[in-house]
Amino acid sequence: MKTDSKVLLFSLPWLIYLAVFWLYPIGYSFFLSLTDYQLLRGTGLYIGFENYSRLFSDPVFLKSLKNTFYFVFGTIPATTILALILALFIAEKTPGHKIFQAAYFIPSITAMVVVALIFYNLYSRGGYIYSLCLLAGISPPVNGFLQSEKTALLSIMAMDVWVAIGYYVLIFLAGIKSIPVELYEAARVDGAGFIKRSVGITIPLLKSTFLFVIVLNTIRSFQIFVEIFVMTSGRPFNSTLTAVYFIFDRGIIRGDIGYASAAAYILFMIMLVFSLIQFKLINIRKNV
Amino acid sequence: MNRSALKSILTAILIIVLLIMIFPMLYMIVLSFQKPGSFTISVDDFAITLENYIVVFKSNNFGRYFFNSAFVALTVTLGNMLFCAMAGYGLSRGFKKIARPVFFSAVAMLMIPAHVLILPIFKMMLEFAWFDTYLALIIPWLVAPLGVFLMKQYIDGLPADLEDAARVDGAGELSIFFRIVLPLCKPALAVLAVQIFLTTWNSFLFPKILTNSEDMYTLPVGLALMQDPRSSDWPVTMAGSVVAALPVIIFFLIFQKRITEGITAGALKQ
Repeated sequence: MKTDSKVLLFSLPWLIYLAVFWLYPIGYSFFLSLTDYQLLRGTGLYIGFENYSRLFSDPVFLKSLKNTFYFVFGTIPATTILALILALFIAEKTPGHKIFQAAYFIPSITAMVVVALIFYNLYSRGGYIYSLCLLAGISPPVNGFLQSEKTALLSIMAMDVWVAIGYYVLIFLAGIKSIPVELYEAARVDGAGFIKRSVGITIPLLKSTFLFVIVLNTIRSFQIFVEIFVMTSGRPFNSTLTAVYFIFDRGIIRGDIGYASAAAYILFMIMLVFSLIQFKLINIRKNV
Repeated sequence: MNRSALKSILTAILIIVLLIMIFPMLYMIVLSFQKPGSFTISVDDFAITLENYIVVFKSNNFGRYFFNSAFVALTVTLGNMLFCAMAGYGLSRGFKKIARPVFFSAVAMLMIPAHVLILPIFKMMLEFAWFDTYLALIIPWLVAPLGVFLMKQYIDGLPADLEDAARVDGAGELSIFFRIVLPLCKPALAVLAVQIFLTTWNSFLFPKILTNSEDMYTLPVGLALMQDPRSSDWPVTMAGSVVAALPVIIFFLIFQKRITEGITAGALKQ
């Protein structure tokens, strides 16, 4: 056997995992979505695309999709813009910039369960954020931020921005560091200020970093689950029910595996479309 | 505006943000030392007591959760270091016509949201009779696509001369991998190890659905299921949170450079 064919055998661990834990579940999931498989009964019959047509007229599922979109498109612009601004500030090498960078990052390496518990307390009636609003003259919802249909999802979104920001600051900083210093020299001669330099030089050169940040954050945000599980279980009135929580609730809790698999497939397809669009955008950038 | 005035303004803003980022973490730590039953930290009722930590370890089985988390995270990390290095080596040096599409498959799987696969993985673990055992928490997670990606990219940048020279000397393929390639991969392996350890230690959804007895819970699962937050004893919950979060924060402060490298490695590849 030729050497490079022998060496190829080293990739067997990945090939096995690709087959067993990725491709097979993807296929199996589709197969399950065409059945009425119930966990308790342990069997399922082929029912074609009935689960899919039922889902598209299930107001709870549609609501979960709507909430997920709301979450994704609400948090991503906020996180991206704030992270960029903070990265630009830190890149100015202000005193203690290393400390800022490290401290901002701590929330994103903390288990989401922990973060969700802390914020559950802060958002509750009598919690610090609740009391702070009272002090500031803003009247919070009577029972706490997570108990009101109007504020629950928004509160979780605000927390998510807080959690995620440090991670993307780091990625933006890496992007800023990769910009050659010479590009700033002309600006320095002209005496261009911080804002002029940022808008004129840095931000336009960060386009691919932007895309990378948005791709990562989209994939992550569409899968939001832990904070919903810990904080609200989708309540009140399904106002915080997200797609993955719906899949978990119907599939694992109620054991309606067939139906939940179809929901998972729909979410999968939606995310695939987004990933492909984003990949296209990255490729366009590379070819320019 | 001169440069020093600008720097002062930027620093002031960064400090305000710093306080917002750090406050909830400090709040958690201080609340974990308050009297059992407190809802929040108050000046009138301020205390420093270890009682909540005793409760967490004595009546809440946190010792076991801690062991499970550490055991699972370490095993998964070691497995990924070995298998991803193997796969990265195979895909970097192997027969190109096959290696290229296989590498592309790893990149494609990076884009697959693992959370949509909870139901088939859950069912598979039931069918394999791995449900509620360490096997379900460890075996499916030993070869992460991210690791295959990182290791292949890294090995691409290593010269193949040493391997070829060893081959001429008659060394076997396995010994070339273990004696020559693996030691050269140390920097990339460190980055990978830190990434995998953090993700595994903090992961919640899969450990939640793949276990159902308290003896198998990891820290995040045990913590989330400890009490209904609506009726919980907050200082105890926060003591549990500190136990889950502090090791990772200390770990981060020690390995900060590696963690940052791991995250930016992907970004710079763009």
